[in-house]
Amino acid sequence: MASQGLTYEGCNFFRQRLVLSTLSGKWVKIKNIRSKDDSPGLQDFEASFIRLMDKITNGTRIEINQTGTVLYYQPGLLFGGQVEHECNPQRSIGYYLEALLMLAPFMKKPLRAVLRGVTNDQKDPSVDTLKVTSIPLMKSFGIDGEGLELKIMKRGMPPGGGGEVLFTCPVRRTIRPVQLTDPGKIKRIRGTAYSVRVSPQIANRIVDSARSILNKFIPDIYIYTDHMKGGNAGKSPGFGLALVAESTNGMFLSAELASNPQGQGSPMLPEDLGCNCAKLLLEEVYRGGCVDSTNQSLALLYMTLGQQDVSKLLLGPLSPYTREFLRHIRDFFQIMFKIEVQKQEDESRRGGDKVLMTCMGAGYANISKTLK
Amino acid sequence: MEAKEQKRHQRKQSGPKAERKKSRKQRAPGAEPDEDERRRNPRAFAVQSAVRMAKTFHRAQDLKTKKHHIPLVDRTPLEPPPVVVVVVGPPRVGKSTIIRCLIKNFTRQKLGDICGPVTIVSGKKRRLTFIECGNDINTMIDLAKVADLVLMLIDASFGFEMETFEFLNILQVHGFPRIMGVLTHLDSFKNNKTLRKTKKRLKHRFWTEVYQGAKLFYLSGMVHGEYQAQEVKNLGRFISVMKFRPLVWQTSHPYVVADRMEDLTDPETLRVDPKCDRTVSLYGYLRGTYLKNKGQVHIPGVGDFAVADVSFLPDPCPLPEEQKKRALNQKERLLYAPMAGVGGVVYDKDAVYIDLVSSHVDQPQMRPTAELVQSLIGTHATLDAKLAASKVSLFSGAAAMTPGEQQAPLENRVWDPVTQRERRKAVFSDDEEEGDGDESYEGDEEGQSEQGDDEEGLQGGDEEEKSSGARESKVGEARRGQDEEEKAPRVKRQRLERVEAKPPVEMPAFADSEDDLEMSGDDGEQSEEDEREGAEGGTADSGHCSEEEVDDDDEDEAEDDNEEKQDGKEEEDDEEDDDYDDDEDSDMETEVTAPVNISKPVKAKVSVLSEEAEEDDGDAGELGNESTGALRWKEGLAQKASEAFLRQQQAAPNLRKLVYGSVIEEQNSPSDEDADEIGGLFRVSRPEKSRSRRVDAMDCSRFVPDSPHDWDQEEVLNSIRDCFVTGKWEESKDAATLLKEDEELYGDFEDLETGEVHHGKPAKEEDSEEEVMVKEDAEEEQKKKRLEKKRRLKERFDSEYDDGDATYFDDLKEEMQKQAELNRAEFENIDDEARVQYEGFRPGMYIRMEIPGLPCEFVNNFDPHYPIILGGLGASEGNVAVSPLQGLKKHRWHQRILKTRDPLILSLGWRRFQSIPLYHIEDHNGRHRLLKYTPQHMHCGATIWGPITPQGTGFLAVQSVSGTQAGFRIAATGVILDLDKSVTIVKKLKLIGYPYKIFKNTAFIKGMFNTMLEVAKFEGASVRTVSGIRGQIKKALRTPSGAYRATFEDRILMSDIVLLRSWCPVSVPQLYNPVTSLLQPVGQKDSWSGMRTLGQLKRDLGLRNKPNQDSLYKPVVRTKRHFNPLHIPKQLQKALPFKSKPKQDQKKGKTPRHLQRPAVIREPHERKVAALLTALSTVHNYKTKKAKAEQHAKHKEFLKQKEREEMEKLKRQKEARKKMYRIMGQKEKKRERSSLKGSSKDD
Repeated sequence: MASQGLTYEGCNFFRQRLVLSTLSGKWVKIKNIRSKDDSPGLQDFEASFIRLMDKITNGTRIEINQTGTVLYYQPGLLFGGQVEHECNPQRSIGYYLEALLMLAPFMKKPLRAVLRGVTNDQKDPSVDTLKVTSIPLMKSFGIDGEGLELKIMKRGMPPGGGGEVLFTCPVRRTIRPVQLTDPGKIKRIRGTAYSVRVSPQIANRIVDSARSILNKFIPDIYIYTDHMKGGNAGKSPGFGLALVAESTNGMFLSAELASNPQGQGSPMLPEDLGCNCAKLLLEEVYRGGCVDSTNQSLALLYMTLGQQDVSKLLLGPLSPYTREFLRHIRDFFQIMFKIEVQKQEDESRRGGDKVLMTCMGAGYANISKTLK
Repeated sequence: MEAKEQKRHQRKQSGPKAERKKSRKQRAPGAEPDEDERRRNPRAFAVQSAVRMAKTFHRAQDLKTKKHHIPLVDRTPLEPPPVVVVVVGPPRVGKSTIIRCLIKNFTRQKLGDICGPVTIVSGKKRRLTFIECGNDINTMIDLAKVADLVLMLIDASFGFEMETFEFLNILQVHGFPRIMGVLTHLDSFKNNKTLRKTKKRLKHRFWTEVYQGAKLFYLSGMVHGEYQAQEVKNLGRFISVMKFRPLVWQTSHPYVVADRMEDLTDPETLRVDPKCDRTVSLYGYLRGTYLKNKGQVHIPGVGDFAVADVSFLPDPCPLPEEQKKRALNQKERLLYAPMAGVGGVVYDKDAVYIDLVSSHVDQPQMRPTAELVQSLIGTHATLDAKLAASKVSLFSGAAAMTPGEQQAPLENRVWDPVTQRERRKAVFSDDEEEGDGDESYEGDEEGQSEQGDDEEGLQGGDEEEKSSGARESKVGEARRGQDEEEKAPRVKRQRLERVEAKPPVEMPAFADSEDDLEMSGDDGEQSEEDEREGAEGGTADSGHCSEEEVDDDDEDEAEDDNEEKQDGKEEEDDEEDDDYDDDEDSDMETEVTAPVNISKPVKAKVSVLSEEAEEDDGDAGELGNESTGALRWKEGLAQKASEAFLRQQQAAPNLRKLVYGSVIEEQNSPSDEDADEIGGLFRVSRPEKSRSRRVDAMDCSRFVPDSPHDWDQEEVLNSIRDCFVTGKWEESKDAATLLKEDEELYGDFEDLETGEVHHGKPAKEEDSEEEVMVKEDAEEEQKKKRLEKKRRLKERFDSEYDDGDATYFDDLKEEMQKQAELNRAEFENIDDEARVQYEGFRPGMYIRMEIPGLPCEFVNNFDPHYPIILGGLGASEGNVAVSPLQGLKKHRWHQRILKTRDPLILSLGWRRFQSIPLYHIEDHNGRHRLLKYTPQHMHCGATIWGPITPQGTGFLAVQSVSGTQAGFRIAATGVILDLDKSVTIVKKLKLIGYPYKIFKNTAFIKGMFNTMLEVAKFEGASVRTVSGIRGQIKKALRTPSGAYRATFEDRILMSDIVLLRSWCPVSVPQLYNPVTSLLQPVGQKDSWSGMRTLGQLKRDLGLRNKPNQDSLYKPVVRTKRHFNPLHIPKQLQKALPFKSKPKQDQKKGKTPRHLQRPAVIREPHERKVAALLTALSTVHNYKTKKAKAEQHAKHKEFLKQKEREEMEKLKRQKEARKKMYRIMGQKEKKRERSSLKGSSKDD
């Protein structure tokens, strides 16, 4: 019996393809992975990601050619359970965690993953951001209850890493449809200024500078300082800030910034970092929507995998990553979103144009979960 | 049915009933009785026990909650697909007859042979699809999965047959649709009492199988080969008002019961290789749920296939337009059965098919369509060469499907004489004992006679028709011929001719559809729009990254190019068409005009048609009134579509194209990739910047703005002011308005403590009094508004307050309701073209599925009597995994238990396939232990290598699908509980070793393992000896290899055997063999046989197992056991007490001769004396014995007498005592009375 499959080229959107392949059961073949590059083939962090996929699934077949430029991935069934994974420090844990967030509700057993590696870096959404934005988002899709938790045990900054994150998630058979069309108004801003292996004073300096900008809009701002010491501080020094704005309707928009890794680039001033991060948050607010730009694809995926009902979601402008994700969703699930632009009136002063995404769920049901 | 004139109810004027009523009436005006009782006797209704009250309350609540079902979102389509009515029953029970009767009842049309699904319009809101289910178990399984209603026909003269019960079981497994039983052959009962009894017996048996009170219809007798009209009418009425339950599998999977099949394979490839894989398009109503394009389907009996294309067609059998009237008119009573040759002209995406009524030409009146085609057929032979040359296939496969070829093999199968078939009667112990053989014989006889009757009836019917021929519609007349023909070939293949091969007016691909429509719109608008797009790309879309803008521009250009190209192409096509049409026309003129007169108008028609087509094409290019081919048949739809499109266009400025359109561009790009070649051999490999940036870029979900705003400027800051709670709120949500609303509502209140009354706004009213006079209108309006608002608020308040007991359940229900409304409303206004892209094809649509790569046997051996079902597969349902089927149970009617590793045919999901199951049972510690055979009366698990199917899906297993077998065919049933790719089944493995050296509790064991490594793996494992001494493996020994040291709880013996009990995992055999019954030759569809079981193989090959010599039973030879004498040491002997001392004395031997006493021999006299003495003693003995007996009897008599006397004495005494007591009692009474008197006197 020949199952269906898809073929892609290049290593971009690598995670999307594997995740969607796993969920849809279609095999995927990725060719020409960095075939013209100086260092061709899959890189260490991608190999590490494949290993993680192998750990959480059961019966997955992975074939990689000798140079690593061709990958064949035949998905198995999502198994879950206790997983420990040493994430490659080239990418932060967020890289791996984003995929886990997408897959975790559809496992056979509730996932309890311990990921070790870099918790915060400049490329990927950090663990702090995912904790304050993705977890509430999942709750709005009916994935809640006891087990849903993301806990930062240790922090680790690039290049050394050494952080540790615990992610637990309960399993669901079906996902609820949502109608998130009204983001509400931002009522409070929270944040975490963290610093490891540097002076604890740096965190306070970040907080002050960030507040100075955000105070123009809202008084309810609280930025926690998180200074980790000793064994919990990882292997490399660094600091950063993750901000989140909560709206009256329980929507979260986030922004974050981390310092340059040790030995790369010029050292950053904490004040600059705080200011820039606050501005990033304002940018995010300008974009608006019910889900911030990093979680767009997660929300869209859950909408796709919902029951056969209409889901609606208001987003800011679609990020390139999300746009590609939408194409991939169409490839794997044959689901297209109705995309409507909601123009803002000139005098409304509520940021840029919003996009209303509407789709009919695929009627996906968790096939791994045991019937009791 | 007219309401019968019923006798009026006569009220009773006298008697107890009238009295009772009168008294009740009199009492009524006072107060309601129950309330009265409560007031009159409040204690009776007081709380007696708090515990009991709590209990009653609990019970009431429990009962209430029990009634609840989990609320589901109502996903039934607005225009539902026809209801699938499956007619089941053993052969010769009257299935076809009942379908024919029902069709006649609903549509007033006669259908000869029921061939494939027949769809009719039965009412204003209901359509029915009738399918006849043959006796083949494959068909039964397939149809059970798609049936909404099952008409279960039972031959009352014979009773239930095994097939009926098998089918009921199949239904139970695959969801239980509605079932209606129909008893036929009731006219064969001569005796009224037996008829009644049989009816009752069958009804009760039917009820036990389905549910108590299940509907069973009785069709009493035949009139002219048809059932009685009134009874059929009643049955039809029941069918048309029936409600259906949603079945889980059906509601979660899209499926199509194909009612039309066309082979689209290129005739040239067909000619070159007649056995090539075929591309086939299948048509039918979509049922179940939304179907996504390009999905995977399973065709039961063929296999899994990827769908190349799905498109929707205009409904061939539409429901009547909305009209306010009660019944359907004749025009709306449609009948659609292309496989049976009914349906007239059928349209396809790119062709029109015209149904040829039948091959007989000498019909008095011909339908216009038939005429047309007849004339075309006349031209067929001469056109052949030209057609071949011009590469246009006018008649695809016309020559291949001559009726004679098709009918020959079918004939044999259908006309199986009744007597040859084994009827498998189901006999139950609770059935009345009847002569089994007799009855079957009787039945056979009846069958024969019936056959005769049938034929007679048919003829009679024909005659009747002839007499009333004038009334009959044309179609009816057309059918009649078939009826006559029916005796010879019951099965007839429809003959469809492909008349026109118009250039496909394609359903445009999605991204292009806009373009087409745009193009169809005015050019000016187009350019405007382009400009607008450009402007937006510059300003409004600042959120999107710049790269996309470039893309967009490129895309537009590309699109323009495409459009131009398309235009060009279309023009070319048109020209070609013209040529072609002209050619054809001229040809036809030359050919047709001379011989036949009728053909003139026909020709004209054809040409008109083609002209129309041209015009249409032209229109599509120029005016764009009608844009797609599909729209032509639905009037007004084009306009609707264009309106909807315009609306959409205004709303979404091509963001959709940005997301979904660029993929197409990307696919195109590699083709026009410029290749730098050096010397035609080598190519310069240089990293392409643009592509590699996209393809090999960093995979990151963060969206860093390319051109961030300058957040130091005030106006930029101001642009997001209102996103915060501190900013300005919308009018409706503003705090001030909300407060005011509250004030309006709750303004008036009374302080209960002080008794003060506060009024909301007295001042305002006073002020406004003057104004009221001035501006009455405004005030009136205001008032209305306020009232409206108040009403709304009050409603909300009421709903919140009064429904204090609004439970979680109610909330859930409301939520579902809302979701259902949203689902309906969301895509309602979009035209179907776009809508199918968003939500897939809706159930209820008539769709066409193009499936490539079907095996040629599917087309060659096509038999419309076997249903073709296209079952959509969900995500990852196309994959194979090991799936443990928990809760499998051998069916209790199946006679044999099932053996592990014997192939079994399972029906699971849509599929029927053969696989090799492993049976297992779960031990108390969660271990799945392999079983060799299924338990007889218990559930067990089974694990198979099979397709992924969602949990909770039922399945059934049969051992073979071929032919008929004795006994109940369904071997096992169960449900899927779990899917897994790793197997957890283990079987017990005992490793045996022998001690070769024994110390105290330690022993060296050999023979269990082969190497030290193996031992190392088992270090610490527990072992035991056969005698039950437990031990543990300690360490491996160097020599001999595989030996180890083990310790035991006691010293073991050299003769002991050491066992290591272990569990070894079992791998599941990877067999997945779909049952390809539809590919079998016609007439042999029920003879599919797959892998044989081991037993069958051995039987077939005549092999016998050579048993292990050691396992054979041999006579038991027991050696005599020899015990050594007990030796007690002398010292011990000495110390023992005498009693315990071993006795030295030997056994007493024979007495020595000299000690033996001599025998005494009597003298003759002595002998005489002895004899006399003996005689005397005998006499004496006798005498004493006699005396003793006498004495005994006498004593008995004496005892009896004594007892009698005793009794009398007792009686006497009793009497005396009684007398005495009476006297005493009287005395006592007297005394009492006197004392009472005395006391009363005292008082």
